[in-house]
Amino acid sequence: MGDMLLENDDIALRSMRFRKEREAQWKSLHELIDQAERKGIHSFSYEQANELSKNYRMALNSLSIARSTIMDKALLQYLERLCSRAYLVVHAPPKSLAGIIWKQLVFGLPQAARDNWKYLLFGFFSMLLGVWIGFGLFAQDESWFFTFVGSSLSDGRAPGASQEYLRSTIYDGGDYGHQEAGGFSSFLFSHNARIAIFIFGMGVFAVVPSYLLTFYNGVVLGCFYALFHTNGLGFDIFAWLSIHGVIEISAICVACAGGSILGFAILAPGPKTRKAALQSRGKDATKLAIMAILMLILAAFIEGYLRQWVQDPYWRLGVGWSIGALWLMWIVFSGRNRGTGNEHNI
Amino acid sequence: MNTISDKDLVEILPPEAVTLRFERSSFGTRFAAQLVDVLITYLSLFALLLAIIFIFRILNEGVFTFVILLSFFIRSPYYIFTELVWNGQTIGKKLSKICVVSADGKTLTPYQVVVRNLMKEAEVFFPISMLFGVISSSGTVKLICFFWLCVTLIYPLRSKYNQRLGDVIAGTFVVEKPKIVFLEDVAERRTKRAQFFDFDPEQLDSYGRFELQTLEDIIRAPEKTKEARERKLRAAKAIHKKIGYPHTIPLGKEILFLEDFYVQQRQYLESKNLFGDLRENKHYKE
Repeated sequence: MGDMLLENDDIALRSMRFRKEREAQWKSLHELIDQAERKGIHSFSYEQANELSKNYRMALNSLSIARSTIMDKALLQYLERLCSRAYLVVHAPPKSLAGIIWKQLVFGLPQAARDNWKYLLFGFFSMLLGVWIGFGLFAQDESWFFTFVGSSLSDGRAPGASQEYLRSTIYDGGDYGHQEAGGFSSFLFSHNARIAIFIFGMGVFAVVPSYLLTFYNGVVLGCFYALFHTNGLGFDIFAWLSIHGVIEISAICVACAGGSILGFAILAPGPKTRKAALQSRGKDATKLAIMAILMLILAAFIEGYLRQWVQDPYWRLGVGWSIGALWLMWIVFSGRNRGTGNEHNI
Repeated sequence: MNTISDKDLVEILPPEAVTLRFERSSFGTRFAAQLVDVLITYLSLFALLLAIIFIFRILNEGVFTFVILLSFFIRSPYYIFTELVWNGQTIGKKLSKICVVSADGKTLTPYQVVVRNLMKEAEVFFPISMLFGVISSSGTVKLICFFWLCVTLIYPLRSKYNQRLGDVIAGTFVVEKPKIVFLEDVAERRTKRAQFFDFDPEQLDSYGRFELQTLEDIIRAPEKTKEARERKLRAAKAIHKKIGYPHTIPLGKEILFLEDFYVQQRQYLESKNLFGDLRENKHYKE
């Protein structure tokens, strides 16, 4: 048992020297992190920002040395956590929210729609095919109506209903006491939003259900149209549907396109693994889903408010198809000038 | 200091090329955060409805429609915007001290935030609203939704890093926000006084890094309770026996024995390590 005295300024342990040499910089990094989290990185001066970046790299360097040589567990854990926290501050998203939204509206969304025009076209095709077949079936036998259109949706609009009744569902002023316009439209909105979400989600299960559901919706629409058509209200129902339907039905087709992108990524991933294909194709699919949601919200506002104000069928046609045309112009022309835009994330 | 097993850690590699380890957040913590967020979004919606009623003195279907439409603006966008502005933290996540990080080690992108929160809509909110009749639906649909809800709730419990489906697709982890604790070096205690015990290399060959770090914890533990002190005495006795220390430890000098042994063992291991002799634990010879 010796009585050797170890001097404080002559520390024999490597790890203690390591700590003494760097401690000041770690502490400074810790303070910068705290400031960044409390006041935001925007409160930093140029020197502070420099200091943060320098100290962060220094701390990472310390961490990687410490992992292989330092035996002091408390110090190791301190460095691990210091670096992780610094990472969260240094790699925080710097972009502004308004900038992100603007860029997506101008570039991201329409570009995604253009890049996937085949999927989109096929979505519209299955919808129209459905309408055609629904119309044809109804013309053959009216009882098809009950097969396809549920009673909750039809609100008494079924074969056998009088022409006046049907007319009153299209225009205001009947004394039939329909559900309040707003409530009904919000119901319809949730109905259509549900359909869109289903169609999008079903895409993951190998594409076919997506198109099938879109097709089925077309059939319902076709039957619905045929019911009014046979009662001599074909033009009126077309106008009634047009004002919000142009954008709403397009939204369902967009959701179908988005869902089938996911489905095809799983069915035919190409050289990638399925998970990787899903992740890379998922970007466009998500953009289309967002587009569909925006369109549905727009449609819901038109349906809930605008349709009650605009009663004239010609105006309804005009408003509906102009909005449709604007939408088409948006996805065809917007954001053509600057690259593909896909190198940036949403 | 609580120890964390490796399976609770998620590793990410930032562009600076040093792997960082985060503690993944537990299912319970995430659930609590979620609960707070749901409360916030729905209470604000409810407050808005009340405000409209009291300020404009109207209550009709139009108002309800407006609020229902607004709920679509509030729910997902709330998560998306807060996670973007506060770097992966909603208010609920801030309170329970967890955050979202990107699995690829790069900056969390808006795309990832959007995907994981839109998926949340499909994973949880949508089936719940179908199941509990907010939206009318048939029995079969309810059954499918119930099944889907079970899948989405069990999935994070079974998945490797407690990821939800949305996390897997977006490539994100939800992790505990690291709490920085700076503790003194226990070796400092020894350097402030004289050395009482001296150990030779053969005695220091018995242990590796793991045992050293366990000893560090034992020394660091405050001697408030009798058990804590007992533990130190037991440790001193065990080490004394294992290394075959020739002299007996004088009564009351057990703590000094531990501290002296710790410093010399650490010094010994550090210099061994410097020349590539890495002794992870006492089984290093095998």
